[in-house]
Amino acid sequence: MAISLKESIIVGFSDFWSRKVRSLVTIMGIVLGTMSIIVVLALMKGINAQTLAWMMERGGLSKISVYENWNYDNPLNLRDYFTWRELELIRSLVPEAKYFNPQEREWVKFAYEGKEYRSAVYGVLPDFKYIEEWDADQGRFISEFDVSQSNDVVVIGTEIKNELFGSKDPIGEFITVHIRRLQVIGVMKHRFMKNSGPVGNENGLAYMNRRAFVPLSTMIHKGTGEDNIGSFVVKAQDAESAPALREKLESIILNLRQGKPVFRVESAQEEAEQMAKNQRTFQVIFFVISIISLLVGGIVIANIMLATIQERTREIGIRITVGARRIDIFIQFLVQTIVVTIIGGILGIIVGLSLLDLVSKFIDIKLIAGPEMIIIALAVSAGIGLLSGLIPAVIASKMDPVKALRYE
Amino acid sequence: MAELIKVKALKKEYKMGKITVPALNGVDITINEGEFVAIMGPSGSGKSTLMHILGCLDTPTAGFYSLENEEVSNMKKSKLAAIRNKQIGFVFQTFNLLPHMNVQKNVELPLMYGGYSKRKRSRMAKKVLSEVGLSERLKHKPSELSGGQRQRVAIARAIVNDPAIILADEPTGNLDTNSGNDILGIFSELHAQGHTIIIVTHDSYVAKRADKVINIVDGLIQEIEETQKTDATAGN
Repeated sequence: MAISLKESIIVGFSDFWSRKVRSLVTIMGIVLGTMSIIVVLALMKGINAQTLAWMMERGGLSKISVYENWNYDNPLNLRDYFTWRELELIRSLVPEAKYFNPQEREWVKFAYEGKEYRSAVYGVLPDFKYIEEWDADQGRFISEFDVSQSNDVVVIGTEIKNELFGSKDPIGEFITVHIRRLQVIGVMKHRFMKNSGPVGNENGLAYMNRRAFVPLSTMIHKGTGEDNIGSFVVKAQDAESAPALREKLESIILNLRQGKPVFRVESAQEEAEQMAKNQRTFQVIFFVISIISLLVGGIVIANIMLATIQERTREIGIRITVGARRIDIFIQFLVQTIVVTIIGGILGIIVGLSLLDLVSKFIDIKLIAGPEMIIIALAVSAGIGLLSGLIPAVIASKMDPVKALRYE
Repeated sequence: MAELIKVKALKKEYKMGKITVPALNGVDITINEGEFVAIMGPSGSGKSTLMHILGCLDTPTAGFYSLENEEVSNMKKSKLAAIRNKQIGFVFQTFNLLPHMNVQKNVELPLMYGGYSKRKRSRMAKKVLSEVGLSERLKHKPSELSGGQRQRVAIARAIVNDPAIILADEPTGNLDTNSGNDILGIFSELHAQGHTIIIVTHDSYVAKRADKVINIVDGLIQEIEETQKTDATAGN
C-alpha cells in the first residue's frame, strides 16, 4: 500500500541530484565533520601504536624499575640507595623475577689519545642485556666472570665510540674512565627511534648511545669504593605478571625503609596503561569536538530542509492529494535527509582518508586507518541525518493539503 | 443508477482567531454513478470547500457524507489518503504537476502511493497518456508543454487509477478558449465512457456540458437544475 523504503531512497537521491549545488553546499558541514572524525580516529590509532612501539624499544612491558623518589624529601634521612646485601635479600624474595639488574651511575670523563668526552657510566650485571634487550654489536657484553673478578673492562655506546675513536676499531684499546684505565671489550648496538615530538633530537633514543657500561663490582670496588647502588631493574616473566611483581617489590622496599616512599617502583606495563589513559582523555576531547562540528553541520541541514519543505509546500499538497499518507511524506523527507548526510559522510571519509598521509607528514606521527573508523563515521553521519531530518519531516507530514495546494 | 455520493446537512466552519466563519451551512446533495455534475457559484460561495470535502482533502465540521455507500465523514486520515488514492481523481485550475518530474512520472505518482510495481505503473501511465493524446511527450517536463497539454497530463493522472469520481476545480480557468474546449471534450468523452465527473466552475459555458448544475451561494444550495442531456461529443 504505502510507498516503499527503496522508493523513498530513490526519491531522496533524485532530489539530491536535481539540486546539485545546493546539496553540495548543504553537506559541507557533514563532509568536514566526518573528515575530522576519520583523521582523529586515525591519529589516536597512530599515537597508540607509537607509544607501544616506544615502550617495546625501552625493554618491553615486563620491565620494572626501582629508583630514588625525587618527590620525597626524606625527613628521617633514610638511606636513598641500596647496599649489595640489601639487593641480595630483595632478589631472594622475588624468585619469580626473570632477570635482576642493580645499577649505579656516575658522571665521568672518558679520555683516549687526547680526546675527551663527558658522559654517564653504569655499573651493571650481565642480566642488563636481557632486561634492556640490548647487547653489544661489536665485541661482547660484560660476563659473570668480569663481575666476579671485578675486571677492568668497559662496553661503550656508539656515540662515545665515534667521539673517541672515529672510524678506528676500539676493541682491545684502553681508555681512561674517570681516573682508571679500562679495556674496551665491546660497542653496544646503535639505538635509534624516529622522534615524533616537536622538539629534541631526531633520534628519540640518542641518550642511550652516550652511555658506557662496566661490571658493577668494578665500579664499587675500584671506582667509587662505596657500597651504594642507586637503582635496580627487574624483568617479570611477562607483561601481565609485571603489575603484581611491582606491588610485591614495592612492599618489600617499603619494609626496608620504615614504610617511607624513599624509592619509586614503576612497571612499564602500568606506565603504558597510564599513558594510554592520559591519551584517552585527549582522544575523547578530540572526538567530542568532531561530533560537535557534525552537530553544527546537522543544524545547517535541518535549517535547509525546513526551507526546502517550505518551497515544496505545493508538491507536498499534490502528493497528499493523489494519496500519499502522512507516514509516506514523513519517510520521504527523513530518508532524503539521511541520504544527504550519508553522501556527506562518504565524501568526508574519502577526503579524510586521503588526508592521512599529508597530516602524517605535518605532525610526524604515522596515522593508521582502519575499517572500524569507516563504520563509526558512517553511523555518526547517518545518526546526524536522522536527528536533523526529524523535525522537518514531521512538519512536512502535518501539512494541510488544502492550504498546501493554494501555497504560492 | 446507483447513488455514488450522498451528502446530508453538511457544515463546514473555519476558525479565524476568535471568529468562526461558516463556509457550508447544511448542504444536501446526491450524485449518481455516471453523472456529470457542475457546481457553480460566485467566489466565496463555498464551492471549493465543498469540493475539498467531496475529495476527502478536508473533513466537515458536521453532517454526513458517504461515498460508494461508505461513510467518510468520520474516517481516519490514513483511510482518507487511501480513498483519495483509489476512488478520487483530481484536476486543478493550476494543473498541479510536479515540475521536476517528467510527464510519465507525474502520471505514475498515484500508482506509486497505490503500491503498484514499477512495470505495472509504467504500463498504466502510458496507456492513459495515449488516451489523452500525449504518447509522444512521456519524457517531457511539464514546463516544456503548453497549458492544454499540461491539463491533459493532469487528467491522465486523475484517471490512471480508474477512480469512482473525477473532481475538477475550474479546469479551464487557466486555458485559452481552444485548449479549454479540448479539455471539456475530454471530460465529455470520459463521461461517455461512464466516469462520474464533478466540475467546480463559475463559467456557465462550462456548466452547460453537465447533466446537472448545482448552484451554491453563501454555503447553501440555491437550486439544482437538470440540464437537457446534450450529445457528449458536441463541442463549440
